[in-house]
Amino acid sequence: MIWLTWRQHRRQALFAALGLAALAALLIPTGISMRNAFTDSGLARCLREVGKAEFLTGSTDCDSLAGVFTTRYESATTLSMLLVFLPLLAGLFWGAPLVARELEHGTHRLVWTQGVSRMRWAGVKLGLIIAATAVVSAGYALLVSWWLAPLNDAGRGRLSELSFDVQGIVPVAYALFAVALGVFAGTVWRRVLPAMAAALAGFLALRFVVLQQVRGHVLPALERTYPVIGGQRPNPSLGDWTFSVGIKNAAGEVISSGQQTQCSPSVAGQPGGPCASIDPGAYNFQLYQPAGNFWPLQFIEAGLFTALAALLLFLAIWRIRSRLA
Amino acid sequence: MSTALEAHGLGKRYKRNWALKDCSLHVPAGRVAALVGPNGAGKSTLLNLAVGLLHPTEGELRVLGRSPYGDRDLLDRVGFVAQDTPLYPDFTVAELITMGARLNRRWDTPLARDRMERLGLPLDRRVETLSGGQRAQVALALALAKRPELLLLDEPVASLDPLARREFMQVLMGAVADGETTVLLSSHLLGDLERVCDYLIVLQTAHVQLLGGVDELVSEHKALIGPRRQRADIAGVAAVIRESHTDRQTTLLVRTNGPILDPAWTAHDVTLEDLVLAYLAHPAPGRAVLGVAK
Repeated sequence: MIWLTWRQHRRQALFAALGLAALAALLIPTGISMRNAFTDSGLARCLREVGKAEFLTGSTDCDSLAGVFTTRYESATTLSMLLVFLPLLAGLFWGAPLVARELEHGTHRLVWTQGVSRMRWAGVKLGLIIAATAVVSAGYALLVSWWLAPLNDAGRGRLSELSFDVQGIVPVAYALFAVALGVFAGTVWRRVLPAMAAALAGFLALRFVVLQQVRGHVLPALERTYPVIGGQRPNPSLGDWTFSVGIKNAAGEVISSGQQTQCSPSVAGQPGGPCASIDPGAYNFQLYQPAGNFWPLQFIEAGLFTALAALLLFLAIWRIRSRLA
Repeated sequence: MSTALEAHGLGKRYKRNWALKDCSLHVPAGRVAALVGPNGAGKSTLLNLAVGLLHPTEGELRVLGRSPYGDRDLLDRVGFVAQDTPLYPDFTVAELITMGARLNRRWDTPLARDRMERLGLPLDRRVETLSGGQRAQVALALALAKRPELLLLDEPVASLDPLARREFMQVLMGAVADGETTVLLSSHLLGDLERVCDYLIVLQTAHVQLLGGVDELVSEHKALIGPRRQRADIAGVAAVIRESHTDRQTTLLVRTNGPILDPAWTAHDVTLEDLVLAYLAHPAPGRAVLGVAK
């Protein structure tokens, strides 16, 4: 059975190995260059000196250095967003054909009538494909986590959208979910292309919903405030995930959303100045997930997707056992 | 004589449609049984039930004395060639033999290689480069390499040209000539199987229409020709299967239960094909189920 699984999937395994090697060939040199630039530009030292205080005062910050750095590596940021889709490929090209191709070609009638029980067939095939998925996606997650570290530190933060999704342990959970969804879709639609389409749609839909509607609310968001008039402003290099900002008046009512304003006391009173229309007691607010919630959120989301993967595999095995012939 | 396959009230339903209903039959061990019926009659369903791919909705099925669904030990003793002879297209012939060796406890690799050699098939040929006839032969060789006690073949020659059909049937008959393997093979054409089978099952619209040993069936049925008249009881006739009339005479195809001595009728022998066509044309399904050979 192991021989058969290897014989049937060795081409996919080869492509995965080549893909991972190509990814490493791309990320390792650029990662090293990014690290060197991070240190050599003085950004690393600057960030160390600024530290992790919640608020900064005066002109000490690393914004300009960080700006130069992130602009220089903007293409890397774009690339990291594309990497979000890699787990989906496992679902489409490993998961969906696993059962669907057998059913489409009728070869399940060949293999399920040899001297091996259907459960053993399913157990070995699914077990090996899941193990391979876990190994490959763990390699991918480690590589990307290492690669993105300077950009994280430069202010993008590990928690921000699509940055969170390619680091830590969630990529492994996404890949397992994608494969399980592909396998299950194959047992329902029984043909490779519809199974791939269903896996694609299901994966993107669930990822989108979790990203937009769930992740920010699983753990309570915190609110940070600082006055409109004054010199105290939040430290941009904390790595928090800020998802809502605005200005409230002294009574706590939102008077402006989506923007932050600050004026030094010297210009605050000037008519026609930037802060002329804002009443004196107003303050800026930010709703955010603190950087320290990165691992709790990773475990929660990885747990959710892994649990769904397990459920889908269970349903797929149930269908293989009693619904397919 | 022991029974290789036995069904009582067997039924299989897909959603609302019964693919097989109230099916009772048995195939004695050592026979070459033909399963004949039009497309959609339930032949594939019966064979897939027999090899344990499907679970019966109702009734009982025993294959080599066991219930086939999910019985791995039984799979060791049953060879199966599925419809359209599915094989992995990117495998070579040698890899298919290796697969069989890895997946079966009972497997005769030298036999499989020997068969491929006699068919003139190089072991390194990929399945996708084989002709339909060669694919069918490979599928048969794989099934035979299990040294099965029961060999099930689902429309093995349906997609083959006449020459390949004949070659396939010759190889099959040569392989089971020792009589130790019971064979059940289906076709929607009796002509493919007529020369090789000694047992017949006719299925139509999910029901068994006719069942029995070929010789017994042929000798038990007669065509009676006599003057035109309304049907009356004729001594020795158990059932009238089909009747046709011209202006002057009536022709009946009947199942007998004794000699026809009535001088008004002359009895003629029937061919197996006449018999099958008469039963397939029979308007009332299920009425003519016979248990002839015990």
